[in-house]
Amino acid sequence: MTSRGTASRFLQSVLRNGVGRYVGQLKRVSIVFSKNGQSSLGIREFIEEGVVDYATKNPGTVVYVTPSPCRIPRIVAEYMNGNVREKTVTSKTSKEISEILTQMANQSGLDIIRIRKPFHTDNPSIQGQWHPFTHRPPSIGPIKPRTLED
Amino acid sequence: MKTYTYIMEKKLKIEGPPPPKPRSQKPNWDYHSEVQAFSSRLHENFSLELLKTAFVNPCYIESEHKRRQALSMNSEATALVLNANVELRSRGSDFSAGFLTDWCRASFPSLHSDGVAAVATHLSSPAVVCLVARNLGIEDLTMSGEFPVPDDVVYATYMAVIGALLESSGPERAGFFLRDFVVTQLIGKDLFDMWTVVNPMGLLLEELAQRNMAAPEPRLIRSAGASTVLPLYFVGLYSDQKLLAQGPGETIIAAEEEAARVALRELYGFTESRRPSDFSTMERWQHQPAQYVGSN
Repeated sequence: MTSRGTASRFLQSVLRNGVGRYVGQLKRVSIVFSKNGQSSLGIREFIEEGVVDYATKNPGTVVYVTPSPCRIPRIVAEYMNGNVREKTVTSKTSKEISEILTQMANQSGLDIIRIRKPFHTDNPSIQGQWHPFTHRPPSIGPIKPRTLED
Repeated sequence: MKTYTYIMEKKLKIEGPPPPKPRSQKPNWDYHSEVQAFSSRLHENFSLELLKTAFVNPCYIESEHKRRQALSMNSEATALVLNANVELRSRGSDFSAGFLTDWCRASFPSLHSDGVAAVATHLSSPAVVCLVARNLGIEDLTMSGEFPVPDDVVYATYMAVIGALLESSGPERAGFFLRDFVVTQLIGKDLFDMWTVVNPMGLLLEELAQRNMAAPEPRLIRSAGASTVLPLYFVGLYSDQKLLAQGPGETIIAAEEEAARVALRELYGFTESRRPSDFSTMERWQHQPAQYVGSN
């Protein structure tokens, strides 16, 4: 669909994150995988080697590891603003999965849709926004183009 | 399988979606780890017992009692040993109101006392506090009687968390917490959105009298489209033949009021173009305390 037909949002942050202190927006991560399936091989390797390091690097995120009989392993991330993002990781290597997890940790939980403008400001003008009356000499008569005599 | 999904869809259509469940009743929930993660996520050293007490609301204790009585579990072995957060809540809300008023007065030294009170009240209002609390993940951890957690319970839990932080780390850290999460909600807000002033011209006269400046004289500076549907008038306020402020409006009276508001904003130092408040990190603040009164 066109960008007009799909959802879009403006660039924003959750609760002005970063102005005061930076708060990692990932609340909890659930890794759902199967103990025997071949599509969860990467996940199982990651859980053997990398998950403890990931959990110690992100002390503000709770990591849940859920083995269950499933064909498609998933990573479910819950963010501070309430959004839940599920990502299927079938047949991904351990390195790719750790990259995906760090990417999820660095995201804010806002929807991943088209961002209308790549910038946002709360103080758009310091010296005052221009309007047709700025720098115009005051006159009560009708507004005419300036002549050379003025 | 197809009949099953068909029946389930029909059931959904008739009965509507299932009622929402609290996060603690969904799979993958470990309360102790969640509380620890909450404390480290906010870069704060909470004492975990105080924090867990802060999340327990009286309505939860009542509903748990009723549930246990209904299940006839009245023996002492299954007694409910939980303290409610009433004390922490009152301490938190007192500290928060005091801190916000002090911060406003320090950042805007020329602001009228009514304005300071209005800004501090706005920042402690349920709307702003519930927005902050829900986006900090307090709603998942609250133990309340009903779900979805009502606004006043979220407000009470948030105040209790502030109280717990005050007890665990002291007033300075609690002050930084409030500054980083509540005061940042002031960014992009206009003074008169938070403070309803009925007579800006009268207030302006008072302020100018206090500063020993002459009373303002309004003059029509610009006008455009006087006979159209959308006229525009610019009225300037002159004190002692010097321009104080000018403001636009659709009628001359509206323009004069707007000019008075613009003048008040400039006098109180709450313009859009003011220097932003100081939100630097704690270590940097400790090295340079003289720059705390951030705005000019």
